[in-house]
Formats: sequence, structure tokens, C-alpha cells
Amino acid sequence: MRSWWRVLGVLAVMGALSLGAWAAKLVVIGPWSGDEAKPFEAVLAAFTDKTGIEVEYRVMRSEDLGKVLPAQFSAGMAPGDVIFTAWGWWVKKFADHMVDLGPQVADVPFGFLTPIVVEGRTVGIPYAVWVKPGFWYRKSFFDAHDLRAPSSWEDFLALLARIEAVPGIEKAAASGDEVGWPLSDTVEHFILAYGGVNMFLGLTEGTIKWTSPAVRAVFADHIIPYLQYASEPIEWTSAKDLWWQGKYGIYFMGNWLTGMVEDPADLGVFALPGAKAVTGGTDYIFVPKYTKNVADAAKLVEFLMSKEGQEIRAAGGGKLAIRTDISPEAYPPAERALIQALQGFVIVPDMDDTIGGEWQAAFWDQLKLLWVKPDALDDVLRVLDEKYPKG
Amino acid sequence: MGLLLIALFVIYPSVRTLWLSLFDKEGFAGVSNFIDLFRDREIVDFGRFLSREPPWGALLHNLVWTVIHLPLTVGLGLVLAVVFSKVKSWWVGLARGAIYLGIVTPLIVGGVIIRFLFEKHAGLVPQVLGALGAGAPWSAGWTAYPETALLALVIGSVWLWTGFSMVLHSAGLSTIDRELYEAAQIDGASEWAQFRHITLPLLRPVTLVVAAMTFLWELKIFDIVYVATMGGPGGASNVLALEMYFSAFRELDPYRASAIATLITLFSLPVGYWFARRRLGR
Repeated sequence: MRSWWRVLGVLAVMGALSLGAWAAKLVVIGPWSGDEAKPFEAVLAAFTDKTGIEVEYRVMRSEDLGKVLPAQFSAGMAPGDVIFTAWGWWVKKFADHMVDLGPQVADVPFGFLTPIVVEGRTVGIPYAVWVKPGFWYRKSFFDAHDLRAPSSWEDFLALLARIEAVPGIEKAAASGDEVGWPLSDTVEHFILAYGGVNMFLGLTEGTIKWTSPAVRAVFADHIIPYLQYASEPIEWTSAKDLWWQGKYGIYFMGNWLTGMVEDPADLGVFALPGAKAVTGGTDYIFVPKYTKNVADAAKLVEFLMSKEGQEIRAAGGGKLAIRTDISPEAYPPAERALIQALQGFVIVPDMDDTIGGEWQAAFWDQLKLLWVKPDALDDVLRVLDEKYPKG
Repeated sequence: MGLLLIALFVIYPSVRTLWLSLFDKEGFAGVSNFIDLFRDREIVDFGRFLSREPPWGALLHNLVWTVIHLPLTVGLGLVLAVVFSKVKSWWVGLARGAIYLGIVTPLIVGGVIIRFLFEKHAGLVPQVLGALGAGAPWSAGWTAYPETALLALVIGSVWLWTGFSMVLHSAGLSTIDRELYEAAQIDGASEWAQFRHITLPLLRPVTLVVAAMTFLWELKIFDIVYVATMGGPGGASNVLALEMYFSAFRELDPYRASAIATLITLFSLPVGYWFARRRLGR
């Protein structure tokens, strides 16, 4: 009997200790894992060094958060103290459950992406910027086969044909897929290049129909001819590996790619000829009202948005700082080159992350269909119009 | 106590879901949510069904899934159980373990396995079919094409569920009196005759339970679709439970989601009723 009491006593002490340790830690939830998470973890480590506040980082994608949080919010709970999501539309919908972070970012010089403010409360803070600058290629591959970045649409098609003629190449362009989002990025780039910024913004705001002749022409005249040279959708990290190994010549992806390849110095990138704008986006930070560590969470947000915090993040590569006062010198060479390449481009917010909701899922899914069935174009455009949020 | 828990965790949520399904954003809507569901191409698209490749609508995809999956898993489980009970060899345990692995594999993991099993570069199935001379989509990524996405999920789910059928049938086989077979052998009955006139009739109650459980499993299928295809491409592998998820968590429309949930419950009610009658011995 005595030994039972001993065991229970030890368990109680262990439980209390672990609860104490858990309670003292700030829980941060973000979408990045593996190599992509390392630069962010370096920022968290710097925060802990500076403040002594322990932080535990957990990985959860926006999709998963979207399932978990509504129920938790209804119960007055939250799985983390500081949470990141790429879905700005979602943050707006659930703004009532979030802490006002206005004071923490009052002095931050934001660029093209600004905080989400609902009824005067700053509920979502854009953190680090990613841009989708265009098609990435390996400089060594282009040099070996005497290939050059194109300067016109005809040039682009000729480049695709030349890449496809290289022995060992399966298709000229790799098409990454997760739930469809890398395809949506590619399509948005084509719309910006051959429909223009006004068409892009009109589609985002719902003032232009997907079935309108001008939009259809972008698909029919540019996207579908490109699809002849594009692979079927492949899980995006596998597609990255296959492209890097030389099965494909070019790969459309966001700038986080620089943090995911063995040799970022071998990377080159070009936008579609004629493009004057590229899409960009961010992951929004929010603090749920139900966290017990609001003060510490606010301190972390303040640090993440500080010049110091942003410089540490910038140094890790893969993302650009949200603050406009971060010098290009703070970045690794690949990002410096990217910043140089983006000179003269307008950056517009990513379309599907802005619209969100069921339309976003439909957009991704319909593009997966278009990629393997280009003759379904009219059906695809019709569904995109039907699914656009009403009101 | 048991009744209280059932009331709290089963009856209340069910009634609440049914209640919600009768409303929309404006207020009480009667059965209009249900009427809208049957008019929605994402739920039923008879216009395309059998004349063109999927999408045919989530409900018809569930139906197609059931028509292929139910006889395959129940039949395969029965056949495997009988074969494994007769063959005495070292590989029997191994094969039984491999098949049983399907039901202890979390469905999320099962979905990932299906995705890669049918993937163009990593997948065994397209590689083998490609080597045999088949063209796209059979030698390409099955989950990327509307013609093959649903089929890939159904085939994958056969592996994931056959173990269940096999285990229950094996348990049923062990309860059949050996003397029946001995008597049949003395009378000169062939293996097939023994199977047809002894095994099959005596296993009937087990087979019916397996069929009923399988049907319920097919109605609520979600995880593997979510992971492997997210219902795509173009809705070609969408199912009712995933459509319910999209309504609830992407469209943030609890009323439509509740109507779909109610629909799934209505489809499962006859099976539940049959189970209840069996329990009561009627």
C-alpha cells in the first residue's frame, strides 16, 4: 500500500512540474517545418535569449488551424499563444476572438501588406513577405544547354521547346501541387503578365467575371499553350527534388524555394515576359483572446516586428522582411539578387489568399483539373464564377 | 449513466444538427437546404453520370464507392479467411499480417500511402502499368486525373478495409463445427460444395454484419480523400463527408453542413435499424 502512495506522490510531483513548465512556455504555432522553419526558430531563440521567456514552436498549417480553432474559440480556448496563418480572410472572420495588437506595431513601417484592422482593432499582423517572382531555373542547367531567360512570349515558348528537347528531360516545367496552391500561383502570374494588374484586382474583388472574354483569352492564348510543356501536378516538394535533379527545366515557386535547395547560388529566376507585377503574401500573426499569456505573447509579437527581429529573420533567407527599413545587406545573396530582380515590379496581394473560403479550395481544385484536362477550360471558368463569394 | 452519456454526446448533437439543417442565414428555412442539396451539381450530377468522366457529385461518388468497395472487401475478406484457414504454410501468417495492417493503419496515413502508391514517379501501380504499355492516365499519377482519382481511392480503401472483413470471417470460421466438414467429406462432397453448403450459410450472420459495417464506413469516408486528393481534381473524387467539411470549415456555413450531415445520418439509419432489430432478436 505504501509503495502505491509513493508512486502516486512521484506522479503528482512530475505532473505539477510538467504543468508548471508548460504554463511558463509561450506556445507559438506556425506553418513552417524542417528547413523552412529554421530561420524562424532562430528568431524565437533570440527572443528567449533577450527576455528569458521560453517558447515552444509547433507546426500547424492554415488548413488544420481552420478546422481546430472555431471549436476551440467557441469553448473559450486556444491551442497556442501566438499563431500564424496565411489566411487573412479567416482572421477577419474570427476577429472577435483576437487580441488588439495595435500598440505592438504602432511604429512599424509596413510596405504593400498592412495589418488587418476590424472595427478599429488590429487583429492580424503581416509577418514576413514571400513573393512569387516567376520561374526558377538552375543556372548550371541553363549554362550547360546554352539556354537564356526569355524576353518575349515567343521566346518563352521556344525556351520550353528547347528544354523539352534536352535528353533526360521529362517535361520543360515542373508543376508543384499540394492541395492545388502552386498551380494557383502560376495562373495568377499569367493573369498579371497577360491580363494586367487591373484584371487581376478585378478578379480578386469580383468585379470581373472569370468567363469574360478577356480572362478566357489569357487562359486560351497563354496558359493552355504553356500546359503542353508542363508536367501533371506532382506533390510540390517531390517536384522540387525532381526539378533539381534535372527531370524538369523550370519550376514556378515562391521565394521560400531559396531556403529549400542545396545550392541557392545556382538559382536563377525570371518573370514571364511582359510582366510588370508579381504576387506576394504573408503569414498573419494573431493572438487569441483566450491565451493566459497575453502580456508575453504581446512581447513576442513586438520582438518579431522589431527591426532586430526582422533582421534576424531576413538573414535566414527564404522570406523578405515586412518592414521597409531593412537594408538589402541584411539578406543572404540569393535574396539580395531577388530584391534586385524585383526592382520595377509592383507587388500585389496573392489572389486566392485574399478571397479565401470555399472559393480558394475550388480555385485550387479546378486548376488541378485544368492541368490535366485543358479542354475543360470553360467548365473551370464557370465554376470559378459560381463559387465566387456572394455579397 | 450510460443513457445520460448517450443523450449528451449522441442524441443532443444529432437533434441539434437536424435543427440547424432547417435554418439558413435568414432564419427558418424548412427543408429548402435539402432541396438545394439535391439541385447542387456538387452533390448529384446525373447529367454527367456514366456519360462523361467524374465529377458526378459527392453522393454519386459515395454510391460508386459502395458498389465497388462493398462486394470487393466483403468477398475478398471471406475468400482470404477461408484460404488461410486451409493452407498451412510459413507465408500465411505473413500475408495475413500484411492484409491486417490495413485496418491498424490510421486512415490519414492510408491516404498518404494511396497518394504515393498511385503517384507517377514514386507509385508502384502507374510504374507497373506503364511497363505493360498502358498510356495516361493509367501510367500517370492516378490521383491527378478525373478518370482515375476516385478509382485510386476505392482500390486503396479495399486494402485498408479488407483486413476487417478477413478477421471477422476468420473468427466466424473458427466457430463452425469441424464435424460438419468431416461428414460432408465422408459423403464425398467437393471443396466447393462444402464451401457453398456449409461455410457460406453458417457465415451468413457474420457476412451481414461485415457488409453493414462496411456500408457505414463507406458513407462516412473522409480521411483518405482529404489527404490523397482533397476531393479533386475538379471534384472528381469528392464525397459527402468532405463536402460537409468544405461547407463547415471553408464556406463557414453550418446550415448546409448540417443538412449534409443529416443526409448521411438518414442514409445510415436503415442499417442502424437493422442492427437494432438483430440485437433485439426480431
